Amino acid sequence: MMRRRLLVSASAVFFGLVPAGPAASSSNQIAVSVDRTAIATSLGHKFSIRSRIANTGGSAATALVAHLNVLSLRPDVYLDPEDWSSHRTRYLPAIPAGGSVTITWRMQAVNAGSIAVFIAVLPQSGDPRPPATGPTVHVSIARRKTLNSGGILPLALGIPALLATLSMGLRMRRRASH
Amino acid sequence: MSPAVEARGVRKEYGGLVAVEDLTFAVERGQILGVLGPNGAGKTSAIRVLTTILAPTRGTFAVAGVPNTRPADIRQQIGVLPESAGYPERQTGSEYLRYHARLFGHGKESARAVAAALLAEAGLSASARAPIGSYSRGMRQRLGIARALVNEPEVLFLDEPTLGLDPSGQRQVLTLVRRIARERGATVLLSTHLLGEVEEICSRVLILNRGQVAAEGTVAEVSRQAAAPQSARLRVEADSVSEAHRILAAERGISAVELADGQPGTLALTPEDQQDTTPMNGALCALAEGGVPVLFFELEGARLSDAFLAMTESS
Amino acid sequence: MATVERTARPRAWAIVAAQELRDLWLGGRGLLLSLAFSGLLSVLSYLVATNQALNFLEQRESVNLTLQVAIAVGALLALLAGADAISGERERGSLESLLLSPVSRLQLTAGKLLAALSLWVAALVLTIPYVWFLGRGVGIVGDALATGALVGTLLALFLVSLGVLVSIFSGSNRVSLSVSLFVLLALFAPTQFPTSAQQGWAGDLFLRANPLTSGEHYVGKIVVDGHSWSQDASWLASPIIAAALFAALAAVAGGRFMRLSGEVSR
Repeated sequence: MMRRRLLVSASAVFFGLVPAGPAASSSNQIAVSVDRTAIATSLGHKFSIRSRIANTGGSAATALVAHLNVLSLRPDVYLDPEDWSSHRTRYLPAIPAGGSVTITWRMQAVNAGSIAVFIAVLPQSGDPRPPATGPTVHVSIARRKTLNSGGILPLALGIPALLATLSMGLRMRRRASH
Repeated sequence: MSPAVEARGVRKEYGGLVAVEDLTFAVERGQILGVLGPNGAGKTSAIRVLTTILAPTRGTFAVAGVPNTRPADIRQQIGVLPESAGYPERQTGSEYLRYHARLFGHGKESARAVAAALLAEAGLSASARAPIGSYSRGMRQRLGIARALVNEPEVLFLDEPTLGLDPSGQRQVLTLVRRIARERGATVLLSTHLLGEVEEICSRVLILNRGQVAAEGTVAEVSRQAAAPQSARLRVEADSVSEAHRILAAERGISAVELADGQPGTLALTPEDQQDTTPMNGALCALAEGGVPVLFFELEGARLSDAFLAMTESS
Repeated sequence: MATVERTARPRAWAIVAAQELRDLWLGGRGLLLSLAFSGLLSVLSYLVATNQALNFLEQRESVNLTLQVAIAVGALLALLAGADAISGERERGSLESLLLSPVSRLQLTAGKLLAALSLWVAALVLTIPYVWFLGRGVGIVGDALATGALVGTLLALFLVSLGVLVSIFSGSNRVSLSVSLFVLLALFAPTQFPTSAQQGWAGDLFLRANPLTSGEHYVGKIVVDGHSWSQDASWLASPIIAAALFAALAAVAGGRFMRLSGEVSR
């Protein structure tokens, strides 16, 4: 068992992936790992998570579906996963014994705060066995105000005011010339 | 020299509807032709064909010597006041004329000078810088005539120029038209249904009815063509009417004696021979011999209105 | 006939365009439309800059949003001006006077079309300060304005030509404006389709064939994703084709089919 865990860890390192560690659980022969478990970014930024789904069993794994789960770790923040990633369900090709599939999940930080992301892999047959899940990826999103909101007012008011003045001036000039 | 306007067999159809049928006529240079006709006669359609707005279904025509196969060249030689001309309300009269002068090839300075001169000629100098939206209908008609003159046309087409104007406005427009024809030597085609206008200023008349030419010629010729009835009107004392009626009814050469509209004692006499008015002499003598004083007598010749009605109502 | 200074006939379109521009801008209508346009951009940029809920947008996305709105509304204004070009004159009774001038119908059409395009030009100029404010500091202002100008001009030319084309054949201004707006709405409708409908080869082809969605996509790729100009150049195909095709159609139709209405008051 120890040797097996070392082999899994070695292959994870070889592929540049963060070792799954004890948090990764596998259902039968499927092991899910991610490239990183902590991400810090700003509101509105886009980022991606690479996950590796490995078949550690002796026979090919077929008809699997991987799903990206996103949830807020704070109860006062409402989060709609659809806003974060529009392509959260992937139907996997057959994974040969000892083989793996790498999926890149592209996301955008829509809410500020503390967010958890994890990947679950389950059979398409709807087998009631627990899905294989990867480690939790903790995403910290800082609020980011990139615009000087105070500076917009002169512009937002000034241009319409200028056009209104021009329009009125033109009207007065027309009346005067008639 | 070729006529100013010449049409041969011009026909205009809209689908199955024939608006103009076999229009053939000629107008010599310098003449003022009155185009008469009731509503639906085809006057506007005829003018629109001759001014190249509409293409004829059949036939040929030439304006200022330019055949209908060269419509752009025709437009260079003509000025037109359309029947239902609209104007840009926000433009001033001066701006409007300058624009059209430029469209006819004037440069900026030339267009300015032309506009000023035409506004003066049309009596609109005081309103030159006012928006057209503030113009009265009469002013707009005069502005339209001025616009028709920007290119100093050889032929001027005026479609109902006095439409909707009060008598004063009509007078102003007709005076302007007469002056233009006299001073510029332009040929004028004046489309109207006001017979008085035609009698007043036109040298020739073309009567259209249901798309066809009903009559063409001078006013006198057209009046005679219709064999418009001649008659006489006389007035006697009111209490002598019955005696006068008895005397006149017995007179030879008088076909009818009737009470006429107007003051009491007015009678209308119709001679048997429309071309011979001598029986009227006998009638007057008979009344004098019968002791009936004649207070008023008028011999009415053939009028254009009579000819018009005779030609348009009979068909 | 007196000798007068004559201009060369080929400049007639310029004379028509100059007068139409005077009527549009000195007459006041152009300024009022521009005022409404700037009001819309002001509200939008203020919301983007100050509203917390909207503030997650990156600067690139906010610039993209502003550009897309400016292009859409600016092109709409140009479409409306084009739709009024001929049918409006017809309805006001002033078309006959123009047709009686020696200016060719083609030059009349060209002059009116150019004047109608000025509304887009004004919209583009007004957009500059908003895009500068929203995009400063991230180096996208130049690319954004250039892309917006390119795509917006192509779409405006397409829509103005469409409006003029409809106007030539419409008996009234109401018909002309209704048909033009309907076509515009039909072209914008695919932007509301669900994402799944826009994927796959059929969805991709549909988006590419529609000059509005295609142009919008191209602007987004340059401004938001930072692509180079040539990377997604194929998306410019339908705006270019639409602009050229409809401008040619408007010219041909104006030259051959510009008429008074068929009804005659005799």
